[in-house]
Amino acid sequence: MNVKINLDQLPKEELFGQGNVGCKGCGGAIAGRQAMKVLGERTIITIPASCMATLGGNNRHTTWKIPFYHTLFECAPAISSGIRAALEAQGIKDVNVVSWGGDAGSADIGFQSLTGAAERNEDLFHVCYDNEMYMNTGGQTSSQTPYSALTTNCTVNGKKTNKKNMLKIMEAHDIGYVACASIAYPADLMAKFKKASSRKGFSYIHVLAPCFKGWGIPSDQTVEFARKAVESGLWELFEVEDGVRTRNYEPKLIPVKEYLTPQKRFSKITAQEIEDLQQQVNTRYGKVGK
Amino acid sequence: MSKVLMTGSEAAALGAKLANIEVLSYYPITPAFPAMERLSKYIDDGELNCGFIRAESDHSALAAVLGASLAGARSYTVTNSQGLLLMTEVVYHAAGLRQPIVMAVANRAISAPHSRFPEQGDAVSQGASGWIQLFCENNQEVLDSTIQAFRIAEELRTPVMVNYEGYIQSHTSEEVEIPAADKVTKFLPLKRMAALDVKNPQGVNTVTSPDFYMDYKYRQNEAMEKALTFIPEVTQAYNTEFGRDSIGNLETYKMEDAEHVIVAMGSIVSTVRQFVDAQRQQGKKIGLVKLKTWRPFPGQELYAVLKNAKFITVLDKNIVFGVGGALATDIKAAFYGNSDMVINGFIIGLGGAKSGIEQIKQAVESTESSEQRNSTLWIGM
Repeated sequence: MNVKINLDQLPKEELFGQGNVGCKGCGGAIAGRQAMKVLGERTIITIPASCMATLGGNNRHTTWKIPFYHTLFECAPAISSGIRAALEAQGIKDVNVVSWGGDAGSADIGFQSLTGAAERNEDLFHVCYDNEMYMNTGGQTSSQTPYSALTTNCTVNGKKTNKKNMLKIMEAHDIGYVACASIAYPADLMAKFKKASSRKGFSYIHVLAPCFKGWGIPSDQTVEFARKAVESGLWELFEVEDGVRTRNYEPKLIPVKEYLTPQKRFSKITAQEIEDLQQQVNTRYGKVGK
Repeated sequence: MSKVLMTGSEAAALGAKLANIEVLSYYPITPAFPAMERLSKYIDDGELNCGFIRAESDHSALAAVLGASLAGARSYTVTNSQGLLLMTEVVYHAAGLRQPIVMAVANRAISAPHSRFPEQGDAVSQGASGWIQLFCENNQEVLDSTIQAFRIAEELRTPVMVNYEGYIQSHTSEEVEIPAADKVTKFLPLKRMAALDVKNPQGVNTVTSPDFYMDYKYRQNEAMEKALTFIPEVTQAYNTEFGRDSIGNLETYKMEDAEHVIVAMGSIVSTVRQFVDAQRQQGKKIGLVKLKTWRPFPGQELYAVLKNAKFITVLDKNIVFGVGGALATDIKAAFYGNSDMVINGFIIGLGGAKSGIEQIKQAVESTESSEQRNSTLWIGM
């Protein structure tokens, strides 16, 4: 299915974002705003414990203009499964049911309910907004933290295991739609949300949404680093639709060190580790040499 | 009404079916699974029009039911022991969100050591969770309480746990009178209150500051206290409608002139009845108070029926470590300062240990002869 997003023709209304209490330059909030431009008001969103769950409202105020539920940590996709069943029981149609977790709520503590809902092929979609560490508790290591990144509980030489490949795992569920996006490419991101919302069955979207605090970059560089991740070839924009894999963007392939070394979290990365990452990118993109 | 032989599992499933549940989720566990399978068969056979979420864990099962309830559907689940413990986080959360979920619990001992046998420790572990908890003596009460639970939950916006013991009830058949389906539908009019509604968008469970938090908790507790008067109203209305004799929060049995009273809840009550009958024939002034509503705790109502007793023997099929049995502890707290009667608590029948006439007799004799007043003793070791 070919979906084109024209950024000039997006609705002016903000269904999420105005008055949110996220940090200035929050990648998660940018992802939320972009997603809501295409999901529209007939959307119910569940968000497990994360920055995104807390920045959208407090006490009797909320910035969400759709039904929003801050769920327990482990179970947003299970909660969303119940919501879909309740809508069906009442004959309520044309509602997007979305669960939206961080890397913890999707890949770690939330993984059991995610794999359960995917296997059942529930008619909903899950978004992992990935900032590659547990930022709501101050920046600890997650399964999505990349090799060699420093975190608040990996403070000496950085993490020494690989980032768990959630996209491969979700692809292995043989669900209809799996996509990888970055907040620096809004038209691509929105097209993927549009596709997921128009499909029946379970879809999974993994979004790179940098946290400038955790990454050690200036707050006005969030989008820039979400772009460099893609242009360096370290973060591939792709989708797998009904088993057919498509790369959605051909990166310029800037050297990976241009993405890595300005980030304080990679201040302990070695020259050899950078070289290894460059070789991986070169292999993936079929490029000879550097 | 027709009378049919059925197990407690079947009675629970039938109660949920008669209540026209709209969304069901569960994760298989022993001994709750026969109720689950019966419900799934109702759905597969087209006898029950209900959405089913085949959860991948007990935690997700209650989460799915909670999501369904928040979106406006009448929702139901079944579990016990380890399943209930894994659900615990969602149990508290659902009560805080004031969702009228009904859950059957086929009470079973908690690991370790591993045991699949009956005990009430699983339900007791959730005593502070904010769920109304009803304990059923027999399978008729399982069916009646399940139907009543939906009315209680939906009126008070408070979830209800219907407890019946594993095997002793879940796998044992008794005669049960079945109310007519159309009359149950009339007894349980569906009052939807969807918190998640695209026509009326709201934020649910937003970050709450201390002053708001305490206010929410006050209101939650207020609803629980209201249940003490509302539960008997519902059972009265049920009895009128269906010609039954279901009890409110508690039942008194052979209490006229009773000097010694046994207090218990759940299936052991039936054994106590036999014991009391036999003792009465021998001229002993002994009676029984059966507690059906354990949460909220009807302390004043209990005191009103027990205040003239000299001896109270409380039977607890649970242990709160370092404290004693939950029911005995609650009774002592409720009676504090009002009474000089002997209240002895007995831990009995843990993990399926014997809890028959002989053990009950030992407990009663111990209360009257023991120099230890208001103590906790273990019976049947």
